[in-house]
Amino acid sequence: MTNRKKKVVIVGGGLAGLALAMKFCERNGEATVVSYQSLKRSHSVCAQGGINAAIDAKNEGDTPEKHFYDTIKGGDFLAHQPLVRDMCHQAPTIINLMDRMGVAFNRTGEGHLDFRRFGGTLFNRTAFAGATTGQQLVYALDEQVRRHVHDGSAKTLEWHEYLGAVLDAEGICRGAVIHDLRTDEIYTLKADAVVLATGGPGQVYGRSTNSVVNTGAAATTAYMQGAKFANGEFIQIHPTAIPGQDKLRLMSESARGEGGRVWVPRDGNDNRNPREIPENERYYFLEEKYPLFKNLVPRDVASREIYDIVYNQNLGVSGDPMVYLDLTHKSREFLDNRLGGILDIYTKFTGADPRETPMKIFPAVHYSMGGLWTDYGPDSNGMIDHASPKNQMTSIRGLYAAGEADYQYHGANRLGANSLLSCIYTGLMMARGVMNYMDSLEKSADDISSTVFDDARSHWKSRFNDIKNMNGSENPHKLHHELGDIMLANVLIVRDNKSLEKASHEIEEIETRFKNVKCLDTTDWVNPSPSFINQLYCMIHLSKIITKGALMRDEFRGSHYKPDFDLSQPKDFDPHEYIEYLEQKQYGDVTEGKFPPGHLDYMKRFEENNEKWLKTTVAQYKNNQPQITYEEVNTSLVTPRPRKYD
Amino acid sequence: MTEKTTTIKIKRQDKPGSPSYWQTFEVPDKPFANIISCLMDIQKTPTTEDGKTVNPVTWDCNCLEEVCGSCTMLINGQVRQACTALVDNLKKPIVLEPMSKFPVLRDLQVDRERMFDNLKKVKAWIEIDGSHDIGAGPIMPDQDRAKRYVMSECMTCGCCLEACPQFTQDNSFLGAATFNQVRLFNLHPSGEMKKEDRLDAIMGEGGITDCGNAQVCVEVCPKNIPLTESIADISRQTTWQMIKNLLIK
Amino acid sequence: MVKPSKDEIHYLLLKLHSLTGIVPIGAFLVIHICVNSLRTVGVWPYQLSIDAINSIPFLLVVEITFIYIPLLFHSVMGFYVASIAKTNTHRYRYPRNALYTLQRLSGAVVFVFLVYHLGTTVGPKLWEGKHHFEAAPFLIDIMNGEFKTWQGILIYAIGIVSATFHFSNGLWGFCVSWGILIGKSAQRNGAIVFAMIGLALTVLGLATVAEFNMNPLPAEATVVR
Repeated sequence: MTNRKKKVVIVGGGLAGLALAMKFCERNGEATVVSYQSLKRSHSVCAQGGINAAIDAKNEGDTPEKHFYDTIKGGDFLAHQPLVRDMCHQAPTIINLMDRMGVAFNRTGEGHLDFRRFGGTLFNRTAFAGATTGQQLVYALDEQVRRHVHDGSAKTLEWHEYLGAVLDAEGICRGAVIHDLRTDEIYTLKADAVVLATGGPGQVYGRSTNSVVNTGAAATTAYMQGAKFANGEFIQIHPTAIPGQDKLRLMSESARGEGGRVWVPRDGNDNRNPREIPENERYYFLEEKYPLFKNLVPRDVASREIYDIVYNQNLGVSGDPMVYLDLTHKSREFLDNRLGGILDIYTKFTGADPRETPMKIFPAVHYSMGGLWTDYGPDSNGMIDHASPKNQMTSIRGLYAAGEADYQYHGANRLGANSLLSCIYTGLMMARGVMNYMDSLEKSADDISSTVFDDARSHWKSRFNDIKNMNGSENPHKLHHELGDIMLANVLIVRDNKSLEKASHEIEEIETRFKNVKCLDTTDWVNPSPSFINQLYCMIHLSKIITKGALMRDEFRGSHYKPDFDLSQPKDFDPHEYIEYLEQKQYGDVTEGKFPPGHLDYMKRFEENNEKWLKTTVAQYKNNQPQITYEEVNTSLVTPRPRKYD
Repeated sequence: MTEKTTTIKIKRQDKPGSPSYWQTFEVPDKPFANIISCLMDIQKTPTTEDGKTVNPVTWDCNCLEEVCGSCTMLINGQVRQACTALVDNLKKPIVLEPMSKFPVLRDLQVDRERMFDNLKKVKAWIEIDGSHDIGAGPIMPDQDRAKRYVMSECMTCGCCLEACPQFTQDNSFLGAATFNQVRLFNLHPSGEMKKEDRLDAIMGEGGITDCGNAQVCVEVCPKNIPLTESIADISRQTTWQMIKNLLIK
Repeated sequence: MVKPSKDEIHYLLLKLHSLTGIVPIGAFLVIHICVNSLRTVGVWPYQLSIDAINSIPFLLVVEITFIYIPLLFHSVMGFYVASIAKTNTHRYRYPRNALYTLQRLSGAVVFVFLVYHLGTTVGPKLWEGKHHFEAAPFLIDIMNGEFKTWQGILIYAIGIVSATFHFSNGLWGFCVSWGILIGKSAQRNGAIVFAMIGLALTVLGLATVAEFNMNPLPAEATVVR
């Protein structure tokens, strides 16, 4: 079917979806972008701080290889290395491309791209457009896609919801079932490949830094249709967010990248105005504990430290779960130029001006490292073969995933400013493979019997009819709130098996109560109620994946912190010792005396733990429950070793 | 225990073209509450003040941090985003209405497709040769970048158009948001190559000359985009274009 | 020559509307008010100026070309512009928005005033065939009559204030629409300068009215040269 116009359905109008649509149209394909709302409004716009690329604009000796290492180490070695390496090597090209598209990246005195520092690295590697980099990148890609729509090669279906994949008798994806959110019509789109670029699942937690549309429903539906879901338990908690009723708004890592300092009063009962507290009575806990990376330790580390300060040391500001993030030592002009947007957001939502008074912040659910399991085609140089049809393909043939909806790039913890990169990278990188996959098909979607599509359509029609007939006593929004509370209370920063088991039971109860939900609105015009109930159902199943994965993984890795299984790294441990240890082991002469006391034991524990747990968690839908198995991680390029940031 | 509540009056409409009606809800007071959290509370208890259970109010929203542009509506008669409208700062009872310059879809939801269509009309993009690796973009002074950045923060929310006395549902006025895009792209070294096309697109009915300089747009813009400066700048560009068309071509 | 498209015509017409408000109409307004204000200095300069104007060869042709046609065009376009406005000053109470509404309102007032003004001055002058040196006494006589009553004073006061406002605010609008004043502070500074010009014209105009009222000039006095 080489001669036919290649048609792809892309679900999601964020960075990954738009990047793919653009690339696909450029290669003479026809892309249909399905979006829950108008393009330009996707959650990618919320990304603030920037996008990483080792261009080494500051002559610090930065290279893509160092970017690769930082990313792998930041993710606690759980990411597949060839993918991450390829992404880091593509990053400079991606930044240049976005620059050519007109993104207003901040510039140096000579007019070149400017870079700032972000967490988990010692290099100035993050390109940024003020404090709304995500928004600027989305707009640039959106403009290109709009141009293709104008030219007729791209189509958009805004205000449409993806319900599920159309699978033929062989289990190959042949299209998508689409729900028009205005007219309430349910119909199918034929396509030789369907790509889910549907973002993360923050809404499972009720309140997070995520947007309202980030329910994870599309990915969960794919999981329930047989796709594997990987590393669900790895949920990034962003250390700095603004507490709120409806949402925990992000305070970008760039606030710390530009010099923001995190502190609490040394005395927990000190209720003075923060600016009146003298320097020696402030506890800059991140700077004291991590003299090398200071306030820019990776997010998992910072979140745990803040949690520890508030709940274990009772040093939260005025006894509340909050710490100060202080920028008041910087000039107003500097702050306006580099961080204006996010500081205004803080002012708008709290009434206080961060230029005058330290911000009060607390960690919040931010990003899912996990997502749909996807494949990749490595080449012989430790990188990716961009022509491989396997790239980004889920375990369902013809169904792809990209962006936050996949799982491959961030391991157990994502570094700041790598998400925008991974989204654009996956979208651009996979285009060739998707086209090659289409070429390889013997039959196109057009050759498939119409009953396959009719069946899929009637399945979802009756599903929605059933939902509309739900007339119990439970309010779905209240139930969602309760689900979020369960997740926030038990499956957050610090995890223990008792709470996780409790959460599992409570989720089961929610699932039982779900059957008694009432569909609040049964009209057939712009009615979000049935869709929400369907999404809630998906969120319940997603919360099970997260919770069960967390319960089963008895270790401490990246964002998944179980104190009971902390290997207690000796304070004076140096990660290089571990490499030495491995070498000695290879030659069969490990000598106890060569390492400081306790270090060898620790390294043995570490090695043993890695053998057991340095694995991808894979959840599959069986009998209404996630069935968990583990898969090897590709660590062919860098030897996994203990992380250390001080 | 009697909870403290806030009264919210909402103008509702079931379908495009169907008559609108008002309903009043009592929403419990909470710290840091905004209009979105109130609407979420109404979803959880969709009961009016006189105890009638009704369909929950529908509205658009997404990011809830004033960067996506979805949740624009009239709050106490003024157009703004619902997410940044903190209940504590609003006059009570609070009155919510859908935007009046766009067709209502349902309740507080309107169809802003016209704004997105306008982006196509003025070619609000840079015509790159392709997304393959062809090196760095043009060098640009940071002050030019800063100028563009402020303009490029436009989130197509529609505030400027709702508040514009020249913009109505039945005329074709492009409005401040679109003119701002023309300036944004004409300011870019590569975007400038299509400058004349963009200017031609706004030199007609509904174009730049239909601006009446009421300058409400710039007052209501949540992103503080210098819209009136953009309009004047674009006016200058079209003036030169006119002179060129008349005298040189 | 390529036939201009509908859009091009639209653009040119509105651009011309803005331009005609300044040249020749605005310029004429300034001259008219300044010349008439000579009345406050003395009788002779005033009369001489009227004589001078009425001595222009082919005066009617000049007036029609440079005043009445532009004025008619500006008025017709003005009513079109006002008709597409959906004023909302009551809802969005910003100074510039109020000026926007006032500009449209004052335009209509000036139009009505001009119909009256021309109908009571130029109209009878042409009807009675008063040319050259006969014009001044004829017109002065009419004006003396107008400014004897408070109604006449009120009509002219409203007319003058509306016209000077419409002109000075329109001058600002012209500078913005033609891209002369762009930046925020440039626009503000321009507004201040034009407001002062408008105020000066208003003072001159009203002073002239006051002079007529307090110190009427006998028409017969002007016949003798």
